[in-house]
Amino acid sequence: MIEKKQQIFNKLGLHARAAAKLSHLANMFSADIYLIYNDDKVNAKSLLGILTLAASVGNEIMLQAAGADEQEAIQAIGDLFDRKFDEEI
Amino acid sequence: MAKDVKGIQLSRVRELNQLKITRVFNEKWLPNLVKHPRPQRPGLGLTGYLKHIQDGRIQIFGKTEAGYLSNLKEGETGRCLKNYFSLKLPGVIVAENIEPAAEWIAMAARYSTPILVSALHTAPLISRLSAYLYQYFSKKIKLNGVLMDVMGQGVLITGASGIGKSETALELVNKGYQLIADDVAEFYIDSNDDLVGRANEAIKNLMEVRGLGIININDIFGASAVLEEKKLNLVINLEKWDAKKKYDRLGEDNQCFKILGLEVPLLTLPVGPGRNLSTIIEVALRNFLAKKSGRPTYLEACQTASAPPPGNREGAGGEAT
Repeated sequence: MIEKKQQIFNKLGLHARAAAKLSHLANMFSADIYLIYNDDKVNAKSLLGILTLAASVGNEIMLQAAGADEQEAIQAIGDLFDRKFDEEI
Repeated sequence: MAKDVKGIQLSRVRELNQLKITRVFNEKWLPNLVKHPRPQRPGLGLTGYLKHIQDGRIQIFGKTEAGYLSNLKEGETGRCLKNYFSLKLPGVIVAENIEPAAEWIAMAARYSTPILVSALHTAPLISRLSAYLYQYFSKKIKLNGVLMDVMGQGVLITGASGIGKSETALELVNKGYQLIADDVAEFYIDSNDDLVGRANEAIKNLMEVRGLGIININDIFGASAVLEEKKLNLVINLEKWDAKKKYDRLGEDNQCFKILGLEVPLLTLPVGPGRNLSTIIEVALRNFLAKKSGRPTYLEACQTASAPPPGNREGAGGEAT
């Protein structure tokens, strides 16, 4: 199991569109992937789960992955956050 | 009770419509913290027996307290109230729209205690208040799955991502049952020690169905297709059919799902081609209700009667000849 702290950079935070991109990406990996924020832990493959976090710009969340492709998963998801979910130029 | 919860401000309690608060005195201290889920009636506390009056509990005055205080001799009331309010209680709610005497308000103000007046009788006031506070103070846990009301029972459908939880739930909604929460349900323990689940505000009434996106069940099916919260009675775990695994063939497994120190019956349903899950779940609920009402299961019926089980061929032997 590996973990990574990740800050949210996009203006709108984990809103519906960003959450959809995130869960879509997470579903490409076989590892179990979780997002942890404010003592809440949700499955990154669940769109509605991500929405319940209501995490916004500037917040820091914890990414957690366990499974064969955990390294790649954390890397790819971290990239998506860093790219601001491809929302802003 | 979770110890890390610091408390809830009385101002939030005041905003609860169900408490029918009509007036507030000493408003300045509404930010006082309530730290306990059970409201308290002072009773003998007013006579000077203060041992069990606990800090952090909302105090409820009814006709008894008001009557006692108004029947005291002059001077006595002040002394009683001084001892009582000096405990720095978070706040007092007076029931039945009883007008608090000026002396109470003044003494409460001295010890920074707000006084609220409710139109409710004491019993409903206490039960509504404690129902709210229990939910607030209870340990909470999020579980992955769809929470539904099927035949009046709270059912949590769990299983791996993509196994078809939401699709099964959608079929159940289409059959007339109610959705409480899709994907993630939040549970707390209420004052009856029951596990109660509800949806996070952000995803209330919503369901995600691959191919359709996020749909609002309340908009599409109407208000009768959704519920605010529901006590959990049964967990149904969907899993991929595994030819090597032994599934319950006789209905004798009694599995349990453990959560927050409570146990909930658990049923595992294998998912395979040709298995209509919503119908199986409906029948599972009928079976669950029958067991709950005390009807013997097929196996129990076989064991109690020494005669061959009902439906056994030997029973119909006469016809065969």
